[in-house]
Amino acid sequence: MSTPLLSVCRLTKRFGGLVAVDALDFELASGEILGLIGPNGAGKTTTFNMIAGAYAPTGGEIRFAGAPIHGLPPHEIARRGIMRTFQHNMPFAGLSIADNVLVGAHTKFRGGIGGILVGTARRDEAEQRRRAEEMIAFVGLGEAVGVPVTALSFGQGRLLEVARALAGEPKVLLFDEPAAGLTPGECERLAGIIRGIAERGIAVLLIEHDMRFLLPLAGRVVVLNFGRKIADGPPEAIRDDPAVVGAYLGDPAAAHAGMRERR
Amino acid sequence: MPRLVYYLAVIAVLAALPFFLASYQGDVYRKMLLWVTLALGYSFLFGIAGQVAFSHFAFYGIGAYGVVILWFKLGVPLPLAVIGAIAVCAVLALVVAIPATRLEGFYLALATLAFAQLLIVVLTEGGEVTGAAAGIQRYALPAIFGVRLTGPYYTAVIVLLLVGTYAILSRLERSWFGRACRAARDNSEAAAAMGVDVARIKVIAFTLTSTLAGAAGIVYAFVDNGVAPTSFDIDKVFTLLFMIVIGGSGRLAGAVVGAVLLYLAPFVLEPYIGHHHPLVYGCIMLAAILFQREGLIGVFDGVRRRFARARPRSMELAA
Repeated sequence: MSTPLLSVCRLTKRFGGLVAVDALDFELASGEILGLIGPNGAGKTTTFNMIAGAYAPTGGEIRFAGAPIHGLPPHEIARRGIMRTFQHNMPFAGLSIADNVLVGAHTKFRGGIGGILVGTARRDEAEQRRRAEEMIAFVGLGEAVGVPVTALSFGQGRLLEVARALAGEPKVLLFDEPAAGLTPGECERLAGIIRGIAERGIAVLLIEHDMRFLLPLAGRVVVLNFGRKIADGPPEAIRDDPAVVGAYLGDPAAAHAGMRERR
Repeated sequence: MPRLVYYLAVIAVLAALPFFLASYQGDVYRKMLLWVTLALGYSFLFGIAGQVAFSHFAFYGIGAYGVVILWFKLGVPLPLAVIGAIAVCAVLALVVAIPATRLEGFYLALATLAFAQLLIVVLTEGGEVTGAAAGIQRYALPAIFGVRLTGPYYTAVIVLLLVGTYAILSRLERSWFGRACRAARDNSEAAAAMGVDVARIKVIAFTLTSTLAGAAGIVYAFVDNGVAPTSFDIDKVFTLLFMIVIGGSGRLAGAVVGAVLLYLAPFVLEPYIGHHHPLVYGCIMLAAILFQREGLIGVFDGVRRRFARARPRSMELAA
């Protein structure tokens, strides 16, 4: 494996007495698709939120391209090249599809307010608008352009989330349960898009509930239970891991056995 | 280039118009242009940046009082007084914006309303400096090259202000900045995830539009050659709000339409209903909120869309 682009080291988050994420370690390389799974309350979303900057960790480190990024606000994380999608689609309702995607390219605009006033920002605008159209075509929303975002189907809204995040030319793309609420057909289409994203050299971190969606897609899977990593490996190995099966089927003995084995 | 020609033509026509009007009508016309200018900035702040702030008219007053105090009371040369008044507005706007834009919706409305009310108190209790309740009166612009910039001639200054304000706001609106403002308004969490520094964007939008209101106030100071606290009463900002909501919130063209209509309405309606025009305002406002959220400009959009759709269909039939 090449040098990690994103590395998470002994990452911990406590909410009062509850340890939501406990000394979590994993690494993510360019072009890799890493799945992060676990039962409800395992700490997936908390981990996701710490990487995306929504929460500051209680302990541990998150490094991106060698530099620590934990505790930075979300807009700084995005500026560095880590973009995200939302589980519950969060479009900008008052903006067109193209403008939604262009907001994703926000950090690509050079020159400040002065550039807008003297008119030099127009060249950037034209270039980014062209790129936004590419992204819209890439996710397959080309036909829907011109439709108000509020009129998009749930699946199309998810695709818009992806196009918007891609417009920021991310090095890491975080997906928060991308298959949630999608039809099987839409899931398949989205899986193809995610593969295409990884082929572009973007590191993909998928938080997912749906094993049938994740296992064929991910190159590697990290499994969380009660905030701890209980498995880390290729999907084939994860599927048969007794600790994982135990965690999902609710057998605490098996889950703990798995954890002890690994330590 | 054609854009510049277009702008120059608009300036020429708007500035020449009062020479064909009676003196009283010309005065109404000039004040209407100032309302349009204010409505443009407020439409950006309220409609595009989504900040429910009620301090817009207060900054208009700060600009007006600022330039008159600096120039007429303190003897600062006029060009410096103008720059100074703009600087005062910008700094005050920034000071208000940094804490206020961290507030959301209702609380921002309250804080800015308190600020506007505070200004009236300061102006009324300002003694020698602000001229208290009577304000500052009886000053006049010096003649420039023998021309007194009063009456119809002063219209050119107001038109330059209006067109300049429009040019700035329309450029901002169609740029990444306008988009970031709308994104932060619609969903601040998603905007931040896309790299938008929401707090910074809000502060810039508030400071910029408030400073533009201040610049309009500077120009206003020489329309009647007098400023008084009553001109900046707290209810004025609600008239601005009615203007942009009825015209179409967040749309610059809507602000123009709304400001012209609501400013002229009392003059047109007076022979029929006397001074009861607020009643009419209220009814139109209710109708706009209940039936036409996008305002009059939204009605216009709808008609235009219908025509745009009708045209290709008729071509299909022809083919």
